[in-house]
This record gives sequence, structure tokens and C-alpha cells, in this order.
Amino acid sequence: MHPPDRFTCEEVFARLDDYLDRELTAEEMRLVHAHLDTCAACASEHQFEATVLTGVKDKLRRLSVPSDLMARISARIAAERPGRGGLAASPSQ
Amino acid sequence: MTSQVAAGQPAPILPGSAAQFEAFLEPVLDAAYGTALRFTRNRADAEDLVQEAALLAYRGFGSFERGSNFRAWFFRILTNAFYSKYRKRKRQDTDVELGPPPELYLYVQTATLGLHGKSTDPAQALMAKLESEHVTAAIEALPEEYRVVATLYFMEDFAYQEIADIVGVPVGTIRSRIHRGRRLLQKALWRIAEERGIVGTLTDAVDEGH
Repeated sequence: MHPPDRFTCEEVFARLDDYLDRELTAEEMRLVHAHLDTCAACASEHQFEATVLTGVKDKLRRLSVPSDLMARISARIAAERPGRGGLAASPSQ
Repeated sequence: MTSQVAAGQPAPILPGSAAQFEAFLEPVLDAAYGTALRFTRNRADAEDLVQEAALLAYRGFGSFERGSNFRAWFFRILTNAFYSKYRKRKRQDTDVELGPPPELYLYVQTATLGLHGKSTDPAQALMAKLESEHVTAAIEALPEEYRVVATLYFMEDFAYQEIADIVGVPVGTIRSRIHRGRRLLQKALWRIAEERGIVGTLTDAVDEGH
């Protein structure tokens, strides 16, 4: 059985999620890409999904982190250092 | 010089390693807090979770293999800490109904609205109207098993296999949850866009642009 030299719309649609996430094999990536180059309908769906994906990632990552979080963690770690009675002072099991 | 550690043998935490640990932690801390915030859905719990994960990681720092991926190692600890601390306490309280996840949900909805004939980039027209708080509300509405995986995926760009290693489930399960979670997220986004009156403004904005 020979590997396909091109994908149908149905085969591309089944792989669209993995294609967006670059989770296909190199050969499958190439075949999907080649199909999208020549099929306006599939290219339109792919472009839509890619834009939504990028937009969601971008908007989710906008957040403010408490400025003193690292300092508070450092203080708690300092309280655990050897010689201060924390777990780190215990012999390893 | 880094000390040599026998394979499989946790090294003791050495004096001075706190500074070394913190040098590893600091670059990933913002991302860890963002992930914890999506996991727990509130700032106080997110801060507690990150602090607890940091302490657990510090205590286990001797077993961290130098040269391997600290970020993935720490996020595994963070995710496990979330599961052990919050999973028992909070039962599922999702408002996203679980059924067959609709495919291309936003594509179909915006096409039905007539946006595709009016805008050259309907997805961008929609995303431009959605604020961070809408997307956050959508991801927080996902059932926990999807929310955790989707957070690691959307916020951190971990590969499927990395997420599988962090969550501790097979990669096929992660693949399925990401695909399904993405569809559920689109459905939740549209519902929020409807509730907040954004859908009604979509065609208006496009009409005004012509």
C-alpha cells in the first residue's frame, strides 16, 4: 500500500487540530499544508481556527502577578534551610 | 562545579542550594502563577498553590536532574499539588454541558450571523471584541479535567507529550482532552459573547467599516 500523495478535505479536517498544534508527522504536516494551499474552503476554516487559537492564547496570558510573590516564597524557603528546624534539615530517607 | 548525584538517589539539600533553586524558580514564577490562577479560579488560592508548590519543589530539588527541563518539572509539582489540595474539596461545578463537542463552533456561528460575507477576517473581528476577562471566564467554565489540560496548553505552549508527563495520563488522553477542550471553550466563548451583548455588536462594527 502506497502512502497518499495528497489528502482529501475530510482527511485534512480530521487532522486540523493536530496540524494547528504541529503534532503531526513531518509528512502529514506537508500533506495538510499542500492541501490548504489549493483548497480555499479548508484554508478558510484553518485560518479561522488559527486566529481564534492565537487570540485565546494572547488574551489568557495577560495577567498581573503579585509583585511580592517571589519574596514571600524566598522567606518561606529561608525558614526551611538546614539548621533552622525545617524539613531540609532532616536526614534524607 | 555541580555535585554528582548517583542515579535514582535523591541528593540532600545542600547549604546554598536555596539560592540555586530560586534562580531556577524565578523565571517560571509568573507563568506558574498564571496557570495556578486558571486552575484555582481565584487569586488567594493561586498564591497559596504556587507557594506550596515552590516549597515542595525546594524540598525535592535534590531529585531534580540538572540539565533537564525545570519548567516541566515544576509544573508537574504544581499540577499534582493542585489535584491533591483542591480536587477533594471542590466538586465539579461547571456550567458547560457535556455533550458531543461541536466542531468549528465559532466558525459556524459567525457564518450563520453573516459575518463571513461582511468581513475579510471574521475570526479577527470576533477576537477583537473579546476581552481577556471573557476568555478567562470561558476557560474557567470548563470542567476541571479539561480546564487543567487547556490551561497548560493555552498558557504555556507545552507539547502534548509534555502535558501527558505533567498530568500523568497517556498522551492519547491529553490529545483528546485538548481537542475536545478547545471545542468546549469555543462554545463557552460564544455563550459569553451572547450574554455580554458582544454578538449583537459584531455585524454592526463590520457594517460601520464599509
